[in-house]
Amino acid sequence: MRAIWFVSQIAFFGLIASRMINVTAVADYFRYYVGGLSVMTLYSAAIFIGFDIYEEAEHGVFEYLLSLPVSRQQLVLGRSIGGGIRSFIYVGPLIAISLYVMGGLNPIAFLISLFALFLFSFGVSGMSITIAVMIKSSDRFDIFMGVLDALIVRLSTAMYPLAVVQAANPAYGGIAAFNPVSFAADLFRWGTGIPTIITLDNPLWPVLGIVAFFGFFTLFGVVIYGKRIEGGSWR
Amino acid sequence: MQNLTKKFGNIAAVDHLDLDVEEGEILGLLGPNGAGKTTVILMLATVIKPTEGTATVGNYDIRKQPDKVRGLLGIGFQEPKMLWVATPWDVVNWHAKVCGLSTSDRKQRVKDVLSAVEMWDARHKGVHNLSGGMRKRVEMAKVLIQRPKIAIVDEPTAQIDIVGKHRIWNMLLELRDEGSTIILATNELYEADQLSDRVGILHKGKLLVCDTPKKLKDSIVGGDLMDIQLEKDAPPKLIEELKGMKEVVDLMQVKPTSIRLYLNKVEEIVPKIMTLFSNREVPITSVRMSEPSLDDVFAHYTGLTIEEAQKDKE
Repeated sequence: MRAIWFVSQIAFFGLIASRMINVTAVADYFRYYVGGLSVMTLYSAAIFIGFDIYEEAEHGVFEYLLSLPVSRQQLVLGRSIGGGIRSFIYVGPLIAISLYVMGGLNPIAFLISLFALFLFSFGVSGMSITIAVMIKSSDRFDIFMGVLDALIVRLSTAMYPLAVVQAANPAYGGIAAFNPVSFAADLFRWGTGIPTIITLDNPLWPVLGIVAFFGFFTLFGVVIYGKRIEGGSWR
Repeated sequence: MQNLTKKFGNIAAVDHLDLDVEEGEILGLLGPNGAGKTTVILMLATVIKPTEGTATVGNYDIRKQPDKVRGLLGIGFQEPKMLWVATPWDVVNWHAKVCGLSTSDRKQRVKDVLSAVEMWDARHKGVHNLSGGMRKRVEMAKVLIQRPKIAIVDEPTAQIDIVGKHRIWNMLLELRDEGSTIILATNELYEADQLSDRVGILHKGKLLVCDTPKKLKDSIVGGDLMDIQLEKDAPPKLIEELKGMKEVVDLMQVKPTSIRLYLNKVEEIVPKIMTLFSNREVPITSVRMSEPSLDDVFAHYTGLTIEEAQKDKE
């Protein structure tokens, strides 16, 4: 379903919308949009680990995982990385389509951006796990993630350049400039050879931003997992 | 376990539990559903934290060194925990991998253990298509492949047929004989009686008593029954002599030729009773003995049968 959605977004929305949009900061909105769409899809796939947590709670797999001879840190890191890799496997073919559509590659830049996308994916998984164990209700989690998805993706540079967001509202621009989705989308575009439309001048900043995002949610996840996962009351 | 307590809100699931488990023994934790057995196990496994008190597993405190504690334990849960992996082989292999078995050891051990629990033929079946009994056997296979220093099994034979029960009981005894200490949580009296070196009776989160099954049974005053059928009516003098024995807690003359005795220390008193009948030349046609069960022990300490306690909890 995700693949059909992805392809239709490119084939219909991307193509049609790019004919409407004429922004000086973006030479080719279609290619810009395809890069952003890949990151949005990766984000939504990585979020799914949180729903797995509820399934594990329902089937009592938590107790088993928590009783294994591994530390809580290893467990959370394993879940985050596992969720990240899984989402990459799901989205990998779609990223391949994006690369085909977006064209030219700078191998080193592309490897850096791919590495950043991996970290982004692990970070989103860690965030999803953290929020899931904090909320402990699958219905509330579903609603919360829907709202978060709407905000974090819309207030990013996944679909529009930072200059345009800032022009619309400086506050929106502030959020978009420090949004992990923006970092990932811009790095992916930069890695695929569209440096002219990168949001931030120096690609190091989005790389550091993603590392910080991954690090924060992994560490926070470890703390929250240890404190919140026991004691039941999962719904 | 020292003062081990777990409260959920105002309800004490485990209430100030003090208990020592000897190395190399099988300790049965007996109690109805809701007695607190699983909560004790989850605290020992460091899955949930105690509200008060603590426990030492090996030489490690469950609060301070939970990672070390988990390294010593292997747990067979009450409800089999099947992962996202698909088949019994995957479940056991994954478990062995996480527990640190090398690839070369693992392959053979998975085969041995799945064969031992008779799941080798079904190793590639989807776990969601397995019966309750088969799932339980996979759960046991996880404990067996680990060969832990301390094994904790929670109702290991629930939903398993009688042949399967005996097979798992033998596996647990073998595990104990190989040096593992085993904590067996069960609400099956026969299972606790057959396997346990000592039995602790839990009721409403409290440990009521803990001792060997024999001593627990002996602790019931007048718990042993002796029904004696006579050829002729029992002489009144003989009845008085029987009542005068200190191990005879009560005597009931059911019929003139039938006597029921409630006894303590049955091994010591029965020969004396038989000698008395012989000396008084009172011929006996039949004798029937029955000793108390753990159900009687449970009823003695709680005032309820285990079924009643279960209903009471519900």
